[in-house]
Amino acid sequence: MDTLLATLVSGLVLGSLYALMASGLSLVWTTLGVFNFTHGALMMVGAFIAWTVSEAAGAGPVAGVVAGTLGAGLIGIVIERLVIRPFYASRNMLLVTAMTTLAVTIILERGAQMIWGPRLKQLPPLVDGEIRLFGNAISAHEALLLVAAPIILIALWRFTVSSKIGRSLRAVGQNQDSAALIGVDVPTAFALAFAISAALAGLTGALLGSIRFITPAMGSEPLTKAMIVVIFGGLGSLGSTAGAAYLIGFIEAFLVLWVGLYWTPFALFLLMILVLLLRPNGIFGKR
Amino acid sequence: MMPLLDVKDVQAGYGDMRVLHGLSLHIGPQESIGLFGPNGHGKTTLLKTISSLVRPTAGSITFDGTDITGRKPPAIVEAGLIHAPQGNTLFGNMRIAETLELAAFSKRASNGAEKRLDEVYALFPRLAERKTQLAKTLSGGERQMLSIGCALMCAPRLLMLDEPTLGLSPRLKEELGAAIGEISKSGVPLIVVEQDIEFLLSLTDRLYLVEHGVVVREIDRASAPDHEEVMRLYFGEGGTH
Repeated sequence: MDTLLATLVSGLVLGSLYALMASGLSLVWTTLGVFNFTHGALMMVGAFIAWTVSEAAGAGPVAGVVAGTLGAGLIGIVIERLVIRPFYASRNMLLVTAMTTLAVTIILERGAQMIWGPRLKQLPPLVDGEIRLFGNAISAHEALLLVAAPIILIALWRFTVSSKIGRSLRAVGQNQDSAALIGVDVPTAFALAFAISAALAGLTGALLGSIRFITPAMGSEPLTKAMIVVIFGGLGSLGSTAGAAYLIGFIEAFLVLWVGLYWTPFALFLLMILVLLLRPNGIFGKR
Repeated sequence: MMPLLDVKDVQAGYGDMRVLHGLSLHIGPQESIGLFGPNGHGKTTLLKTISSLVRPTAGSITFDGTDITGRKPPAIVEAGLIHAPQGNTLFGNMRIAETLELAAFSKRASNGAEKRLDEVYALFPRLAERKTQLAKTLSGGERQMLSIGCALMCAPRLLMLDEPTLGLSPRLKEELGAAIGEISKSGVPLIVVEQDIEFLLSLTDRLYLVEHGVVVREIDRASAPDHEEVMRLYFGEGGTH
């Protein structure tokens, strides 16, 4: 019983992390029609900026998280401008931007290695202490992640459904020309979607920076998981992405229990391939 | 008198393919015009060039005395020059009410948006009945209504309609024709693209025949062509029997 509960709690923590990552990835996909491979690297940059502000400059972890979020968002705007916008009109936009974003990922990872060096870094938790959940002790910082993820996802969902700007992002994703004809500036909408997505990645990185070590490659595994989540949920709605994130979180937690840490990624990919074969539009995707 | 819209020697196209070869036309301050002619000869490209979805490579477009050539689409919408595109080109996964509310996006259109929303629902009661329906689940006629409704939400000072009755049943066509007539009567000048000359003559003051990317003929409602002449216009001298 204890193991089961502990696994559930661990799945919940993983699910929150994946939901934050995947929602940004999904936002860029639905708005720009681009798969952004820099998403994991943006998360890593967010964590390093948070560390610099919080630890190196001594401004504290809250300022660090804010700086990591905003910094990643700004870098996102620059990336969109430099390696995605020039290819909007290109017929092979999806392929070209897959390559340019992969290239930027390598540049960001090497750049981080040069700037911050090889030594492992970690952020202090935003909140100290432990909290008991279903009889299991988890750190208060992890509990904060559990609470923050749904709040952020609901805020993002309300933004895209109710606000004028949020609706315009959805409109651009569904029909660029029609959006332009009611006065939406399409390039600005693209930049905004990319910036929000990058800021979410940066926030995730800054929060993760006090749970795991901050390294230049720390973004690659969460990116892979976010990719699985987005494909698993069916590219499209925020709701199905969030649902898939928690589902994958739980599945991963139980896989670790049953087949061990070593075989878990293999099992997850096997699952993803099965989903793609049986339901090409994802578990929650509509035909 | 200064024209509301003045299109001068406009050339435009897609990539290497040029569609408009120096097209000129104008529309007076209180006037509506119709465009007709064979498919693929530049009518839709002209509307897209005016609304700046396509950039002209030569020529000039003046709206209300201001040169708007090469301005970005949001600036054109802000000026009140509104283009309702052809066919099913809306936001499939948005509800009708949401789409219409969003359509009043520009700064100018956000003033009085609620009043205009009521007017759109009064003009198209069917949209009012289906407020929460997703756009992709609408019929062809309802999509046209939504498209025109969106254009009205933009508070047009000049409204361009691209084949608003394409593929509709005669009954629906009549219904939409009446609605477009209402819009025109409310004081919004129109540019209507259609194949049906009778339909155009019932709505507009002057017609332009567009062929091979230029205006080849201008027709006044007063001197409207008879049926045989229309056939000749479409099919050439050998077309009549």
